[in-house]
Parts: sequence; C-alpha cells; structure tokens
Amino acid sequence: MSPLLEMTGVRKRYGGVQALDGAALTAVRGEVHALLGPNGSGKSTLDKTLAGTVVPDSGEIRIDGAAARIGGPRDAHALGVAAVYQQLSIVGDLTVTQNVVLGLEPARRWGFLDHRAARARAAAALDRFAAAFPGGLPLDRPAGSLGPGEQQIVEVAKALARGPRILVLDEATASLHKEQVAVLFDVVRELRASGVLVVFTSHRLDEVFALCDRATVLRNGRTVGTVELAATDEAELVRLMVGDAPRRSGAPAAAARPSPSAGAAATLEVRGLTTERLRDVGFTVRAGEVLGLGGLQGQGQSELLLALFGAARVTAGEALLDGRPLPLTSPAGAARAGVALVPGDRGRQGMFAARPIQENLSLASMHRRARLRLALGAAAERRAARSMVERLGIKIGSLADPVSTLSGGNQQKVVIGKWLLDRPRVVLLDDPTKGVDVAAKEEIYAIVRGLADDGVVVILNSSDNRELTELSDRVLVLFEGAVAEELSAAAITEKRLVAGALRLTPGESP
Amino acid sequence: MNAPARREIWREIRLPGVQLSGAATVAMLVVAVVVNSALQPNFWNSYALTSNFATFVPLVAIAVGQTVVVLSGGLDLSLGAQVTLAGVVAVQIVDGRLDRIPLAVAAALGVGLACGALNGLVVALLRLQPIVATFATGFVFSGLALVVLPTPGGSVPVEVTTAYRDAVLGVPVALLAILGLALLWWVLRRHRVLRHIYAVGGDADAAYASLVPVTRTRVQAYVLGGLFAALAALAILANTGSGDPFVGNELTLASVAAVVIGGTALTGGRGGAGGSILGAVVLALVTNIVFFADVPTTYRQLVNGAVIIVALALAGIPALQKSPASRKRRPVA
Ligand SMILES: Nc1ncnc2c1ncn2[C@@H]1O[C@H](COP(=O)(O)OP(=O)(O)OP(=O)(O)O)[C@@H](O)[C@H]1O
Ligand SMILES: [Mg+2]
Repeated sequence: MSPLLEMTGVRKRYGGVQALDGAALTAVRGEVHALLGPNGSGKSTLDKTLAGTVVPDSGEIRIDGAAARIGGPRDAHALGVAAVYQQLSIVGDLTVTQNVVLGLEPARRWGFLDHRAARARAAAALDRFAAAFPGGLPLDRPAGSLGPGEQQIVEVAKALARGPRILVLDEATASLHKEQVAVLFDVVRELRASGVLVVFTSHRLDEVFALCDRATVLRNGRTVGTVELAATDEAELVRLMVGDAPRRSGAPAAAARPSPSAGAAATLEVRGLTTERLRDVGFTVRAGEVLGLGGLQGQGQSELLLALFGAARVTAGEALLDGRPLPLTSPAGAARAGVALVPGDRGRQGMFAARPIQENLSLASMHRRARLRLALGAAAERRAARSMVERLGIKIGSLADPVSTLSGGNQQKVVIGKWLLDRPRVVLLDDPTKGVDVAAKEEIYAIVRGLADDGVVVILNSSDNRELTELSDRVLVLFEGAVAEELSAAAITEKRLVAGALRLTPGESP
Repeated sequence: MNAPARREIWREIRLPGVQLSGAATVAMLVVAVVVNSALQPNFWNSYALTSNFATFVPLVAIAVGQTVVVLSGGLDLSLGAQVTLAGVVAVQIVDGRLDRIPLAVAAALGVGLACGALNGLVVALLRLQPIVATFATGFVFSGLALVVLPTPGGSVPVEVTTAYRDAVLGVPVALLAILGLALLWWVLRRHRVLRHIYAVGGDADAAYASLVPVTRTRVQAYVLGGLFAALAALAILANTGSGDPFVGNELTLASVAAVVIGGTALTGGRGGAGGSILGAVVLALVTNIVFFADVPTTYRQLVNGAVIIVALALAGIPALQKSPASRKRRPVA
C-alpha cells in the first residue's frame, strides 16, 4: 500500500530565512503523525504547504501515490486536506456559523445563501465540543467576541466540517483547557479509526505520546528523522529535536540579566480584590518570590493579572507595592508604577503583528531610553532590541522584519522580551510558554528565576502544572474567581494541583 | 469577559477603523431634517419632498456602491467618473427616443460593469493600492466621458423625466427608487458574493485560508460598485433630462462621506449599506441647508467640504473610544 501522504525535498525561503530546506514527511492512512521540532524549525510552514496557503519554492507532494499540485487552499481542499492553523483562520467580524461554513456556504439557486442549512452544519460540527460552551453554542455570535480557546474550537470544527482525509492540526491544543483537549483527542482517535491521516503538531510531548503513532522531527527546515513513538522515550525525542549540540542553557541568560535597579526589592500586597470575575482575592508576595496561579483554566487567573495591570474594572479592593497603592485604573499607570504584563493572547493583546520586531521589542521601554523624553537614538534602540533577541534566543531574519513573519513560539518570545526591557518591579506572566519549544521553555524558566533572584515580584499563571511545580515558590489555586487553596514549597506537586483544581480533598485525588 | 475595562489597554494595540455607531447616524439625520425644515419653509409640502427625493437618489445609489467596495477592504475613487461616463454614454444612445431606453440602460450598466472590472483587475491582480489605482482610472473614465460628450447636452425623453417626478399612490417615484436600492442591497446581503466580500474585508488572509476566492471576490466588489454607479447615472439623467460630462465630479467624495457617516468601517468587513443610505440622505440635506441658509454661491463648495470634514471627524470620535473588543461584538449588519 502506498503511503497516503509523501512530501519530499520541500524548500521555502523567506527573504534571508530558509524556512524549509528539503523537508520530507511520509505518513499513511489511519495514522496520527506528529510533526515536531523547535520554534522556527519550519513545522507551520510545512503544514501550510500541504494546506495550500504557502506555495513552496520547490519540492514534491504525492497524495495516494499521485503527484499533487497544490497552488492554493482550494486545491488542497479538492484533495481532501483540511487544516487548523496556528494563527487561526477566523474572521472576527463574521458569526461563528458564518466562519464554520466560510468558503463552502450552502446555497440555494444562483448562489443565494441557505441560512438554515448553514446553521445546521455549524451546529453539527460544534456539537461534540458543546461542553466547552456552557451558555450553549454561540452560533450567532461574532467569532471575534469569543475567548481564545473557544475560537480555537471553532477553527477545529470548521476543519472537521470539511470532511477531510488528511487533517492538519498545528498547535491546536495550545489554547485549550484539559477537558477540551480530551474531547479533541477523542475526535482525532475516531478519525484515525475511519482511516483519516492526522498530522499533529504540538510542543506538549505528553500529548504527543498519548495521541500519536509516529513522529517526524524537523530541525532548521530539514527532516532529521521519523520514529515510532511506542519505541521512543521522551529524552530520545528531545535529543532529536534539539540535536546533539550542547543545549542552550539558562546560564548565558543569567549572565545577561539586568542588574537590579535601585529599590527593585518590593513586596506586593493584595487585599480584597474584586471584579466581575474575581471574588475577594487577597495575598502577599515578597520580592524574589514566584507566585503561581493554578486551577482549571478560566477560573479568574487571567482576570487577576489583568486587574493588577489596571486592565479590568476593579470594584473593590486594593494592591500595595511596598506599601504604596498601585493605580488599578489604567495599564499606562500600572506600567509607570513598574508592573509588566505578558499577555496570554499574544495575537490580539501583545503585539503589533505588522510592525518590525525591533519596534515591538522596544515599545514598552522606549520612554526609559528617550533623551529628554523625546528623541530616540536609532543605535540605542537597535542595541536594546538586539540584546533581547540574543538573551531569549529569538530566531529572526532581521530586526526590521514584521513580527508576523516569525514562527509562533518566537512571537511569544518577542512579547516577553518587550516587557523585560522595561526593567519592571512586578512581572505578571499569563501562560508565557504557550507554544514555546522545549529549549526555549528552559530559557524562559531561567529568565523567570533570574527575575525573581533580582528581587522582582513574579506572578505566573500557567495551564501547565509541571511548569507551576518547577517554577513557583507558592501556588494559589483559584476556583470561580476566589482563592480555593494555597500550596507552598513541597506541597506543590502536580497531583496536589490537579486535586486542588477539582476541589478534591488531598486524600481522594485521582 | 470584562470588556468595558479591558478596552483601554488594547485600544493602543489595534487602531480601530473609523466607524460611526447606528445611533449617531440616526441622530445626524434627525438634526439635518429639523434644521432643514426650519430653513426651508415648505420642506414638508409634497412638491418640495418630491424634488428633494429626486436629488437624493443618485447619491444613495453611489453610496451603496461605495459601501460594497469599502466592505471588501478597498476604496473606489473613480465612482464619480464612472457615473459621468455611464451617463454620457446612455444619453448619447437614447438621443431623446423612448424606444432606445432599454438599450441605453443596458449600455450604462455595461459601462459600470466594464469600469468596475478594470478597477478590480488593477487592484486585485496587479495589487496596486486601491486609492492610487482608482484615482488614476478615474482620470481615464473622465477623459473618455469628454470624448463621448464634450459639452453638456443630449436629451432624455420627456416621459422619463415626468415619470421620475411623479408619484404612485401618493408615494414619490424617487422615494420608491431609494426603497428599491435598499431592497437590492437586502437581496445582495443574502448572496454568497456579499458574504465573501465581508470575509475578505474583515481578514483577507483568513478568508483565503478558508477557501474564499479572494481575488475574484475583490473584482466582484468593484464590479458591483460600478453597477451602482451606473444606476446613479441613470437617476441623474432621469432627474436632469440631459447629459453632463462633469456631473460626477463631486459624487466620489460624497460617496465616501456617506459611507463613513453610515457607520461602515473604512478598514473593511464591518457595516452595511443601510447606514450609507441614511448617510447619503444626511449629506444631501446638508447641501440643502447650505443652499437655504443663503450661503453665497462662491462659498458653497467650501462650506460643503467643511461640513463633510466635520461629519468625518464626528465619525472618528466614537471610533477612538471604542475598542476592537466591542466592535468585534457587533455582528455584521
Ligand atoms: N511569512 C513569513 N515571512 C518571513 N519569514 C517567515 C514567514 N513565515 C515563516 N517565516 C520564518 O520561517 C521559519 C519557520 O517558521 P515556522 O512558522 O514554520 O516555524 P514553526 O516550526 O512552526 O515554529 P513554532 O513552533 O514557533 O510555531 C521561521 O524562522 C520564521 O521566522
Ligand atoms: Mg508553528
């Protein structure tokens, strides 16, 4: 039996960056095939050449043994390929229904739309994920008003509604809750049973081992190998991904850490903080401490960070930094007081995608380097941006390229770097390693620890319990907007976190 | 989501397009009507109403056309010139003869279609900036119009001009024409092409990845714009009874202003022609007000221009206060 999909010698160059340099991928029917590699290794680009949104410079794609000419998404669709994009293909102004059927709208005669059929198709596609929408399926809401996880599900439903025989999932789980991931996995397993090939990209190796049969690893745009996952362990996979070269460790980052600015040591005290989605939250974090926020996602963790950053309407309560009240009314005020937020939804909140990398990096801290608060030196701006690129190991072509040209993980690093340049006293991190590869994760961890060592107050929300155990000195488990439990030191284990999130008493943890 | 507060922060991150809320459009309309009826003593008598509506129709038609183009993420600065060209071609063909009307109408629509297709191809295939491309093609169309009809002239059968100023069961024909344009929009909204225009204007990359034929959709938007320009040309002929190779000059700016006043985002993907129709009426009433306020002729153009700038500025204020989050919540018209 010939393989269902054979991609060979795929090359794609963007200006000075060789995104794909002879990548290859071979996969069969009824298989879940992982496509792995560090940030910027070309996974999304390879996915896109299959889905037709990127036309490669050279290379061959065979589907079912026949040479496939994919010049655009419609060609891919005709060949039975549907894709879930890392940078979602959702039109925010259209409703959920309109998005799900977009491009393939059911129509009556002469191209007039059949609204009822469209709704029925959208409802059928989303039905499996109904649990993710407690208020009922938001069929008629503009997709842009949904949260990132919900939009992700709409994107998945849209691909499923196309009835593909090859389904590409590019970091489709990155913004999903655990329960939603479980539903998605069930769907993928069903598809596999019916002979569909699923190409699955994720940086979460536990997911890869739980779901996938084989894995192809990319490095620098080249395929370095394909392995049977049943016969491979995690260390082996990581070695394939990062290569034999000594792994970039946190050490150089530590050396390049900003020196603690005078008076950086601080204590943050929060009392009775209440917003629409937070109830009476209080805690104290000392300088040099990493406070984790755990619990099921969406229990108010992001809201708490936004509130401290002055971006949520606070109805009661206060926050004191070294005894002085923080202005909880505007992000600009918060930034002036030394609070930095690395937002979770980087696409919408964290960056100007179309502007150059350098501008994005230097934006938040510009005022510190401005001479007489007015003039900016081009050289100084470049130096500052360049140092951050090196410190975080951001893979870029040139500082002048727009951020949108970076791979997903590298975009996240730009968002983090932007705030670190500002030498904040309080750093709020909202799921900072979402979509970041193993090596970069370590770097970001080193940076977080470095910040804490320098006397910065760090509050970290993470959907990854392992990350919380590794980084936090204490963890607040939130439930429905209130602190349900506080864990410290040795009590911070993945088991306790899960139990706390589900509000089980320690004895009955699953 | 705690939208109201979260607003502030992302405002700086995504510049919202200029967009006016529906309430503001209606408020402007009410003010314009009140001022107008105060200044024009017989504003509400049927003769004045009829002649007012008669002058509104072309502006309404071209505003609907501009809306379609703007929704697709483009802009057509040649629409006025297309009105001129379609008008002079039609008037040359009809030449005062009743039996040639179908031919003249078809020719006008054909001109609109051809001009729209040319614009669409230049913008969508050659990927020139819409503003520059259509500004240039506008000169071509105006030049052609001068070749077809060098000086004002030609004549439309008197039956047409009479019928245009007539009333059916007490309703002015011109008002029926406006309602007809609204109905046409209503029908288009139910068509796949308009859905794709919204998608392309909202996010062209996402639309492309979602199997929307982006290039074709862009061309279709300009073609629709051209067809509405042809309808505007026919309305002008029916109203004035003769051809004029300069008639469309001021309509382009007015069409853009009507779109903005009507609440359609200039960035594309959001809004609808319903607002633009109201916007066109507001603009026409303003022109009326300027006339009846006894502004000296030499100053009229200046005042009209200033009024449009004020309207655009007013449209900009709510856009500055509104966040992407809240505008996202607004469903497509
Ligand atoms: N449109 C573009 N213009 C310029 N460069 C691009 C473009 N798209 C991708 N690149 C570059 O190509 C390389 C590969 O990017 P790609 O998105 O495929 O990586 P990835 O493996 O998906 O990474 P991640 O895990 O971060 O998502 C990166 O260096 C990226 O900067
Ligand atoms: Mg990627």
